[in-house]
Formats: sequence, C-alpha cells, structure tokens
Amino acid sequence: MDISINTFNTSGDRALLDPRTSIYAIIVISVVMIGGRLSGIEYILRVISCMIPVVFLFAKKNYKLGMIYFLLALLAMIIEGSAIQTSSGFLNLLLVIISGTISRFVPQFMMAYCFMSYTKVSELIVSLEKMHLPDVVIISLAVMFRFFPTIAEENRCVVDAMNMRKTKTKKFSLIERLEYQIVPIMMQSVRIADELSQAAMTKGLGINIHRTHICEVGFRYRDYLMIILLTAILLLFFIY
Amino acid sequence: MIDINNVTYTYNVTDAMGKRVERIALKNFSLNVKEGQVVVLTGGSGCGKSTVLRLINGLIPHYFAGELHGDVKVNNINVSTNPIYDTAKIVGTVFQNPKNQFFNVDSTSELAFNAENFGRNPDMIINDIDRVSSWMNLNPLIDRSMFELSGGEKQKIACASIAVADTPIIVLDEPTSNLDARGIEKLRKVIALWKKQKKTIIIAEHRLYFLKGLADRVLILKDGEIKKKMNGTVFDALSIAETTKLGLRAVNIEKISDKVRAITAKRTLGKRYISIENLEYVYPDGEHGISRKKLDIPTGAIVCIVGDNGKGKSTLAKCLCGLNKKAKGRVIYDTKQLPLRNMLEHCFMVMQDVNYQLFTESVNDEIQLSVDSKIEEECVNKSNEAMKMLDIEDLPKLHPMALSGGQKQRVALACAVASSKEILILDEPTSGLDYYHMIEVARVLKMLTDNNRTVIVITHDIELVNECADYVIEM
Repeated sequence: MDISINTFNTSGDRALLDPRTSIYAIIVISVVMIGGRLSGIEYILRVISCMIPVVFLFAKKNYKLGMIYFLLALLAMIIEGSAIQTSSGFLNLLLVIISGTISRFVPQFMMAYCFMSYTKVSELIVSLEKMHLPDVVIISLAVMFRFFPTIAEENRCVVDAMNMRKTKTKKFSLIERLEYQIVPIMMQSVRIADELSQAAMTKGLGINIHRTHICEVGFRYRDYLMIILLTAILLLFFIY
Repeated sequence: MIDINNVTYTYNVTDAMGKRVERIALKNFSLNVKEGQVVVLTGGSGCGKSTVLRLINGLIPHYFAGELHGDVKVNNINVSTNPIYDTAKIVGTVFQNPKNQFFNVDSTSELAFNAENFGRNPDMIINDIDRVSSWMNLNPLIDRSMFELSGGEKQKIACASIAVADTPIIVLDEPTSNLDARGIEKLRKVIALWKKQKKTIIIAEHRLYFLKGLADRVLILKDGEIKKKMNGTVFDALSIAETTKLGLRAVNIEKISDKVRAITAKRTLGKRYISIENLEYVYPDGEHGISRKKLDIPTGAIVCIVGDNGKGKSTLAKCLCGLNKKAKGRVIYDTKQLPLRNMLEHCFMVMQDVNYQLFTESVNDEIQLSVDSKIEEECVNKSNEAMKMLDIEDLPKLHPMALSGGQKQRVALACAVASSKEILILDEPTSGLDYYHMIEVARVLKMLTDNNRTVIVITHDIELVNECADYVIEM
C-alpha cells in the first residue's frame, strides 16, 4: 500500500538551522573530513567536525541513529588518533581502510541527512530565493524534490503490474525488464508533469512574480554561532 | 461574473496514428453566470465541458494549443489577454487527479501556496489557514506529508488552498473521478459551504448524485453544444429512467437495488467457491490493516465488493491477487489449498490506473507477451482469440499509450484472457467514466463471465453494481 517516503521534513516545526547555514556546514564538514590529515591541528579539527552531526541528531530526538553514529565516529577517531600511528603492515592497512571509510565519507552524509530531516522544502526554496538564485532554477528544484517520492510511488505500481504478467514459461531478460519498467514510468511522468504545470499556472505560479512565504527563514543566534564555529574550523584548516 | 459569448474552440492534437488533426471542442458556445450561482456542466466524455472550464481559468489560450474565436470575460476582464497568474487571483481550480495538483511535500505549505503566489501578507495567510481549517475540519491534515494522504484528503487540501486564496470564482474539473464515497461526501460538504459564502462555482462532472440540492443550473453538453438546460429543482427531481434516457449518470442514486440483492440471495446455494481464510494484512504504519476470517467468492460470476472503508478495498484487491507479499492467509480453490501468495498464478488485476500495465510498443505485442507459451503459433492464436473476444481486433498495430482510457482497459483485459488466468480482479474500473462507458464496461464484464471466468470488481460505483453484479459482498 502507500508507504510514505519523506525526503524532507513535513512537520510544522521550524528548521533547527537556516538552510544556508546547513549547506555551509555540509561543505565545511566535507572539506575537513575528506581532505584532513591525521595529525596535529587537522586531527583535532576532524574530531570536532565529525561530532557536529551528533548534536543535530540528538536535537531531533533521533537517539538511536545518534548513538550509532556517535560510536562509529568515535571508533574511527580513536583508531586514527592512536592505533594507526603505532601499527604497521597489513594491520595498519586494514585499520586505515576501516576508519577511512567511516571518517571520510559518513559525517557529511549524516549532516546532509540531518539537513533534510529538519528542513522543509518551502524553507529551502525561500533561502535559495534569498541567495538570489534565478527563479527558473528555484522552480525546477522545487518540482524535482516533489518528483522523487512520486517516481518511487509510480515505480511500485509498475513492479506490481510486471509481477502480474510473469508466466511460467517466459522470463523477462534484464533489458526487457528495464524497458518495461522505464516506459510506463516515463509516460506517467510526462503526464504528471503536464498536469502539474496546468495546476501551477492556475495557482498563480510564474516567473518574475513577487511571492511571499509563511515559513520563517532567517539567521538566529544559533546560526551565527554555527557560522563562527565553521569559519574558524575552515580558517584553521587552511592556515595550518 | 462570467461572460462567455459565441465561443468556438478547436484543439490542435495528434491522433493515434500520429497525424496532426483539429478537434472541434466548442461550437458557438455562450454562458453567462451571475455571482453566487452553482452551475453544473455534464455530458459524455469529450462533450466540451472541461474546455469551458479551461476558458474560464485561462488555460485556454495560455496553455493549450488551439484556435479560439469569440470572447471570454471574467469579472469584466478579458481572460485571453490577461496574464494567467492574474486570472489565478479571481479563479481557483480543482482538478481531476488529486495526485498531480500539489507542489509541496508538506500539507501546510500547500495550503499557503496559492496565497503566497499572489504575494499576500504572510501573517494574513496564516490567519486564513487557521480560519479555513476550523470551518473545513482540517486539523488532522495540517503538517502532514502530502504523500501519506488519501485521494479524498488530497482533494480536500486542494479545495482548502483555494479557500485560503479566497478567489470569488471556483471551477472544478471532474473532482470526484478518483474519489471514493467518503471523499465525495467530503467534497459535497465543501461545495455546500462555498455556496453559502456566495462563491460562484462551475463544476464539470459525470457523477451527479452528490450535486443534488446544490446545483442552481445544469447544462447538458453534446459535441460542443448545449443540448439541454435545466434549473436546480428540475435536476434534483430527475428519476433514474430520465437520466438514463439523457445518457447521464443517476442524480437520485439508490442503494444497491433489490433486484441485485434478490439475485445474490437466490444464487448462494450449490455453487463452487473460492474460499479465503484468515486473511490478514497490516499496513507499514503498523496500526491499520485489514483482516477477514472468511471470504467466499463464487466462481464463474461477477462478484462486486462494495463498501466505503477508504483504502481498504484496493488493498484487499492486491491481497487477493497475491501482490501483497506480507499478507497472510490461505485460499481453497478447486479443492486445492494454496497460500495467498500463489494466487498470482491464477489472478490478473486491472488496476485503477491502467497506464501502469501497458509496457510494449503495440497492442499485439502487449497481448502476446502475456501468453504462457514459447510456441509462436500458440501465442498468435491465443492473442487473436483474446482480441476478438474484447472487440479490439482493429487495434493490434497501435501503440497502447495512444488509445483511449476504455480501450486501454480492454487491452489489459485481453492480456488477462490471453494469459489463461481464470480470475480477473478489477479495481474501480469505472472511476471517471460517463454513463455510456460505464454500461460498456458492464457489458464486457458479462461477456467475460460467459466465458467461465470469475470477475471480481472492487468498486463504490453503485450504478455499475446494479448494472452487472451477480453477487454483492459488502465490506
């Protein structure tokens, strides 16, 4: 039946951070975690950066994921801080691979996950408007976010339909499967896009109109704190 | 309020063969609507009623390609020269498909969307949302994901966002075609409230019973012209015989007729059954679900499953044909016992939206694909047989997606016939169909049972039930 697919926050709560701050945080964490070395000040910056998502996971009351991530990150940091420096040979290689996959890729992914779980699409749109992106880009982005769950829904129906057509003697090859799955989804998507544009026009959406918005988006103290922290990390990272 | 004078409109479209053709939608059509009136446009598919709505909300000429003669004025403003985002401030539109008319992922943003586009003050919008949600009972729908809502709930949000935007004119284009009985009742209440607030409302619809007592004027269209006009009182009093004669869906919907009930009662003895025992399915949310101790379905007949418990019926359909892998239960069929899952070998479901089921490039390929055989000759024979049975022999070369809705449905049914599956399940086969197409579906179903197949119809369309049911199971 209808499984809900939430790509973005749908509750009435205001986002924990302004979307612009969140995007900045994702960028800074990526830079530090992917590019940082394992010694000196860069190591300390890495420890701080990889713990930022923990704060937001806990703030969103996502304790289970928060704990799992915290322990994983802690493990990676401990390995990088001590074991890697002292071990050698195969063991060293193994430890580098384990801690590296966690520390270099997971934190920014977690931050992006946090961002999506506490931000509403409308908040993102408003903040993109504040960043003076052109309307054409913003409207396309808005439609894109709305389309992801739609395509997932459509896909489920098509898979059902395909299962019904399976017979004992005939098996679909991979290419056939792909064709039979993609064609109806594309046809449906075209239809949805057509109906959606009609709806958009009758709802008064257009390029170069002045829109207002009911969601509150703007910097608060926590945003400034976060920006100062992130900028400090970035500066230290590049200076040293 | 609305003045349409001598309008002739022609669509530029492409036909099934890919040729460009001109299709005349309206001929010398005039309509004047005063403030606060509720006008209903009805008639068979393609009679031009949706075109009238598109003239009012500006999609013609701003979106559809075609040729427009005559002028359309709304609030004394010429729609064709006025930018469509300005017309949007006067005319709100509710569309047919609840799925494809929302932009936001969360319901509250969707409620504000129209008003935000008009550039209205945010505090005012929030006030209006509060006001509208109290008179429309929206509280359970606030701050939800749009994707979790049922069709009826989505349609309610669509109406509510127009109420928040507070446009004086509201047009509704077949708003009930994807709704169940409960959704329709919700919509009826909204329209009644709007009527009290003196909104001008234009509705294009096949299904008429829910408009009883609401319509001030009713126009029956045929081939782009007004065939008959009547006022609200005459419309409300139309009997089934009269609407049938006019080729319309019933205004005075009755319950399941005594005739059908009598047939059901008489036939229950001495029949072979498919018995489903201990059927149980729980939705992913872990709270809701369906469960039935025993469900007996007679074979070789048209069995209608009716009742308006929202999503439950479509889920039941999926469980019955074994598509819900998490559904538990067993089936006794032909003295054999099988798990529910294995029903997939015997069942074929025609989905409410048949577009999901058509994969290939031609009707012929589509049907041959379903035949359970590797021998070329057998495939051809069986598919020809199926096409003949469903009267689609003249279509084999066409692309399935280029066909009309009714033809697509038949192609899907032909696939089922060709696959030699003996149980056919149809999920809401008549949603959004006019009277003639509904009768047509009933005829096809009867034909299938004459060929010894069991047809299970999941529906809330009482008119269809009365037309074709051998058995009725109420949920």
